[in-house]
Amino acid sequence: MWRWQITASAAAALLIASLLAVSFGPVNLSFGSIIRTLLGLPNGLENQDRTLLLELRLPRVVLGALVGAALATSGAVYQSVFRNPLADPYLLGAASGAGLGATIAITNGGGDLHALLPIFAFLGGVLAVAATFLVAGKLFADPSTLLLAGIAVGSFATAFQTYLQQRNSAALRPVYSWILGQLTVASWDVVRWAGFYIFIALFVLIRVSKVLDALMLSDEEAYSLGVSPQKIRLIAVAAATLATATAVSASGLIGFVGIVVPHLVRGLTKRATNRSLLSIAFVGAAFLVIADLGARTLLAPAELPIGVITAFVGAPFFLFVLRARNRGSK
Amino acid sequence: MINIENLSVRFENREVLQSITLEIPKGTWSCLVGPNGAGKTTLLRTMLGMQSYSGSIKYDGREIAKNKSLNIAFVPQRPSIPAAMSVAEYVMLGRAKLDGWGKESAHSRNIVHEMLEATQLLGMQGQLVNTLSGGEMQRVLIARALVQEPEFMLLDEPTSALDLHHQIAVLNKVEEIKATGVTIISTMHDITLGAMYAERIIIMQSGRVLLDGESQLVIHSPELRSAFDDRISVHMLENGRPVIIAAKRDNGLVDGVI
Repeated sequence: MWRWQITASAAAALLIASLLAVSFGPVNLSFGSIIRTLLGLPNGLENQDRTLLLELRLPRVVLGALVGAALATSGAVYQSVFRNPLADPYLLGAASGAGLGATIAITNGGGDLHALLPIFAFLGGVLAVAATFLVAGKLFADPSTLLLAGIAVGSFATAFQTYLQQRNSAALRPVYSWILGQLTVASWDVVRWAGFYIFIALFVLIRVSKVLDALMLSDEEAYSLGVSPQKIRLIAVAAATLATATAVSASGLIGFVGIVVPHLVRGLTKRATNRSLLSIAFVGAAFLVIADLGARTLLAPAELPIGVITAFVGAPFFLFVLRARNRGSK
Repeated sequence: MINIENLSVRFENREVLQSITLEIPKGTWSCLVGPNGAGKTTLLRTMLGMQSYSGSIKYDGREIAKNKSLNIAFVPQRPSIPAAMSVAEYVMLGRAKLDGWGKESAHSRNIVHEMLEATQLLGMQGQLVNTLSGGEMQRVLIARALVQEPEFMLLDEPTSALDLHHQIAVLNKVEEIKATGVTIISTMHDITLGAMYAERIIIMQSGRVLLDGESQLVIHSPELRSAFDDRISVHMLENGRPVIIAAKRDNGLVDGVI
């Protein structure tokens, strides 16, 4: 019973976060007028304020929510699959691959390819994870081999990216700002395609989330309970990679959401993270919407990269988890 | 009846199991004994359907690998213990194949309750599994195997991490399970304990079955001593139970038990 209450509270938190985020900014909009506008009631916002809400703030909030949900859910799934509480969605090279793809788009062809940056980043991320699976080869059945292969592929992609940047020093700044992550590019177009892939991925992940229990056991135990761990691992990693690559290509590299949120929800629910993926998706969405509100308003009119905010909260939390783990093992 | 015929398993170029043929009657306890690397765990993994093999493993005439509805419980030597999962939830996983993952039938809840009681775990059903001691975890693993209502049960070194008190408790429990008609196949380093509980001992060495027969016969056979390079000696207790210990060499030193 109270599992649903947690999911409902997380959904409510997302609603409140979204309302705050569309309301505050250089121009503050009242909650009442926002709600009236969204519900199509009389006395809603008009003219510039209406455009500000519907064409600028709302798509940005929706994109932030989608990206937050994608990263948090993927993080939780990776942690189950790799039996490692510190695994994050960028583990198998998705981030460095996407970084390389973005750098190729930025350094080649100037303006033309720049518009294709999300596609390059997406392909880079997916190809890097595919390469990780290929490098791990037959042994991909073993999570730790997969993890090491991910580190090798990631390092290779990062080295290649650095080389490209060195050769095109003009690209340093745009690549750097992309790496830190931003939601400034949000438009309904981006929301539509990102939403499409992220919803597919989340649907698959929530469908298989119960079976992920088996991946926390040894492979022998999983077999004895009627599950082929390799198959489930492949489906889970593929869906989590689709979500991660989409999130990264829409908003750059936003770190720590994938670690902080699953641990936060696990702390609240005292349940294995794969058993509360829906709550994790809602909390991840709310977390990123609030982080983006901070990014927009803390140093207004200047805008902070959202990755700075999430890492600012995330890094100390990461250390806290590490310390708690060490204490637990003593 | 489990029929293993001419079973071979290869890892790359190495043959880890070589032409194994065994016949295991229902409701019996067979104990696989042998040095590390003899192929005992590989044999268990192959019976679970994890390993590709040549030859055949049949249960009641049907190839195990093709019979997806067969319930084979597995008690691992080193379980991977999930965080944030309670004893009751963990034991309930044993019903996943029967109920479907994430589902819990009322019948399953009853069985889990019953088995938690039988393994004296009822009091700690809400406790997280990653906080249990070795002996408690072993009982949890056995409870999970029991709720599977398995046709047969594979146990990989079920007593290796336990003190003597818990070893006996676990083995007694397995004996009770056997009495309900479940076929038991276990690996064990300790032949003395193996011979005390299992009616059958299968000695393995380098991927082959070296000796296979009734426990008392195997223990007293001259082949057993040669299987262990004459480094063991068999002593009889007053109650007729055999004890197998490392043999003393002429210089008074004790060889390592295999």
